[in-house]
Amino acid sequence: MYGKKASELVKECVSGEPGQLTTFNNDLFAQVIEECNGHLLHLQPLMRKIQEHENKLKDKRRSEDEMAISEDERRKSEAEKTVIQTAMKADQFGALIHHLSLVRNKRCLMAYVYNRAEVIKSLGWVVDCVLPEEIEEKLSSSEKEYFKNHAATLQSYTSELDLDLTVDMIPPKDPYIKVRVLDDIGEIVLSDQVANLARHAMLFLRRTDAEQYISQGLMEELTG
Amino acid sequence: MEPGAGESSATDDYESLISTTDSELLKRAWRNEKAAPEILKFEAALVQRSRQQIQLMEETVEEFAKNGVDPLTVSLYQMDLDRTLFLLRSYLRTRLQKIEKCVLHIQKTAELWNRLSKQEQKFAVRCAGDLTQHLEQTVLSKLPDQYQSHLKQSGASEGDDMVPEPKLDIYIICRSKKFLGAFQLDDSGEEPVNIEADDLYALPYKSIKPLVESGQIDLV
Repeated sequence: MYGKKASELVKECVSGEPGQLTTFNNDLFAQVIEECNGHLLHLQPLMRKIQEHENKLKDKRRSEDEMAISEDERRKSEAEKTVIQTAMKADQFGALIHHLSLVRNKRCLMAYVYNRAEVIKSLGWVVDCVLPEEIEEKLSSSEKEYFKNHAATLQSYTSELDLDLTVDMIPPKDPYIKVRVLDDIGEIVLSDQVANLARHAMLFLRRTDAEQYISQGLMEELTG
Repeated sequence: MEPGAGESSATDDYESLISTTDSELLKRAWRNEKAAPEILKFEAALVQRSRQQIQLMEETVEEFAKNGVDPLTVSLYQMDLDRTLFLLRSYLRTRLQKIEKCVLHIQKTAELWNRLSKQEQKFAVRCAGDLTQHLEQTVLSKLPDQYQSHLKQSGASEGDDMVPEPKLDIYIICRSKKFLGAFQLDDSGEEPVNIEADDLYALPYKSIKPLVESGQIDLV
């Protein structure tokens, strides 16, 4: 049945958890594109036939107008026209079905790619430029390129403004927060102190400094 | 807290004075931007002034820290600075995320395009280019000729029907500062709504769009 594979693609996109990506389904994608090309192969001859029918009808009408014809001949000509019109209708309906299925497949494909692209866009806000491996293997090559381009675009905007927009995601309660370091990072120069970030160390850091480490998962905030 | 009859004018003046400070204006712009479904006008002057003030505060805090002023005072100033910075960043971030969501629609609509700042327009152009290139690479180049547009469904479509648009008829909660009287919500012949000062209303965004633009109504 036309459109079944495309709706499978869309269901796959919707069934995962919101914000999580599944591996890019290359096989199903290729099958839907093949189906589209199949539709086109059916569509083109049908359109040609419709055009032929229309030309025939036009010729008939012109010949009727130009020549003076008898009553009998007129009736015969009307009957022929009806035959042509019926044949044309069948072709028109066939062409319509192929056209609509093609458009539906296109919509499903675009929805699949577009929704994945939105998830990738939101990733660009959380992660800086390097994707963690588990996410990277789920993307197609074009999506990886898109992520890089998008990160570069965000970067160009922030550098023009001179204001880092990826920190400060939640409203601040205290200027300094208590954090525990989860991984060995070593000695880092922060905005107001030089800190040795060894594993399991508990420190008081400026919020904006700590946020980038927290979002990468290298630190956790201790509340209370 | 009802102000006394004789003091009401003084309180009004105080309130109007407070409401025009930059931090209040920034808070208001930030709230409106967060609540509205489409992008609002960019407050260029406000952003400029806020950044200058933030810079001034940073220098003041540094001086205090150097001169050994009471640490509590320093941390209070620091706190205020952080909060203003957060407001500014969140305002710009919300706008950017709205642009990302509907970038093709914004490019097409002149009214929305004019609401962006220059840097945001550059960002929107690049963002749209990235998205179009990605879509073309993945899907559109493999489809037949008449169906390769990312804006139209096929060559036979009348308008640009593949562009996602923001939903303008969602309900939002709003409050007006002054008494606005009877306001006709839409053309369907329903009764006009009486908008009083300081009352909360839940109305569809489409109906009160002009009021939000002129600043008479605030979104909550």
